[in-house]
Amino acid sequence: MAWADVVFLLCAAVMVLSACAIVTRKNPVYSVICMLPFMLGMSLLFALLQAPFLAAMQLMVYGGAILVVFLFVIMLINLRPEELKDDFDIFGYFVPVLGVAILAGLVAACGMLDTNKGSRLDKGFASEVDGKFGSIADLSGPLFKTWVVPFELVSVLIVVAILGAVVLAKKKA
Amino acid sequence: MEQLYSLAVDAAQSSGTGERFVQTLTRLLSFNVTSCLTLSVILFAIGAWGVLARRNVLVMLLSVEMMLNAVMLAFITLGRAHATLGGTTGENGQIFALFIIAIAAAEAAVGLAIVVTYFRNRGTVDTRDITSLRN
Repeated sequence: MAWADVVFLLCAAVMVLSACAIVTRKNPVYSVICMLPFMLGMSLLFALLQAPFLAAMQLMVYGGAILVVFLFVIMLINLRPEELKDDFDIFGYFVPVLGVAILAGLVAACGMLDTNKGSRLDKGFASEVDGKFGSIADLSGPLFKTWVVPFELVSVLIVVAILGAVVLAKKKA
Repeated sequence: MEQLYSLAVDAAQSSGTGERFVQTLTRLLSFNVTSCLTLSVILFAIGAWGVLARRNVLVMLLSVEMMLNAVMLAFITLGRAHATLGGTTGENGQIFALFIIAIAAAEAAVGLAIVVTYFRNRGTVDTRDITSLRN
């Protein structure tokens, strides 16, 4: 087992467990705090997939900004424990069983119908791309040439979102 | 019944199903495209479960963020696979993931503003009580 496999399995385990914790905790504060290991695992996985810039962005924007905003809102709303009603119905506990069954079926089907044995991708993708891939210099070329219009549209979207949030949350005089 | 069972075992052995199943399992437990995409599917499904089963709007928003993260993982994995196979535009996957981060931030800002406003006016964040548009 290569070290990349070990890191991947650790990340996957942490992420799946914390994702389940996010969904099942009754108190939303615990859900937000469980989001932190999820984001850390995802960021490590991005670094493993040779996306170091995305890994840093993930930590800064998600771990740094979005989670803090969620925590702020939860503290602003300040639900008392007795107001937290039981949040799950039977349906909520039945769905994951169904999901695991479907996933197992899919895995079994893929194993049986497997036709691309010995593909290069099967052996993992560590150290087969030159070190420049995923660097900031590598990303900025297509970002500011091919995708410059979507990039500008995203900046417009963010301005609109900020204005919208301010207008929505402003107290009516 | 026993005949049926032995028939199934024979069929599995002659077509190599067990061997292939073990191969699939080893592939899923190592770091490659299949396992990364499977992880992405699992995380997306857990996020969808959260949106469908929870009644707290804040946790539903968190689950939506989780689903967006799973999609980012799929984008980056496939971009990396594209580059591994000799493609020249594998960075596009990462650029799309960057766009997803930006859009997720905007979505969180607007969504949380709506939650705060609704809570101020009605005093609840439970979707069972948010019924003013019903009927």
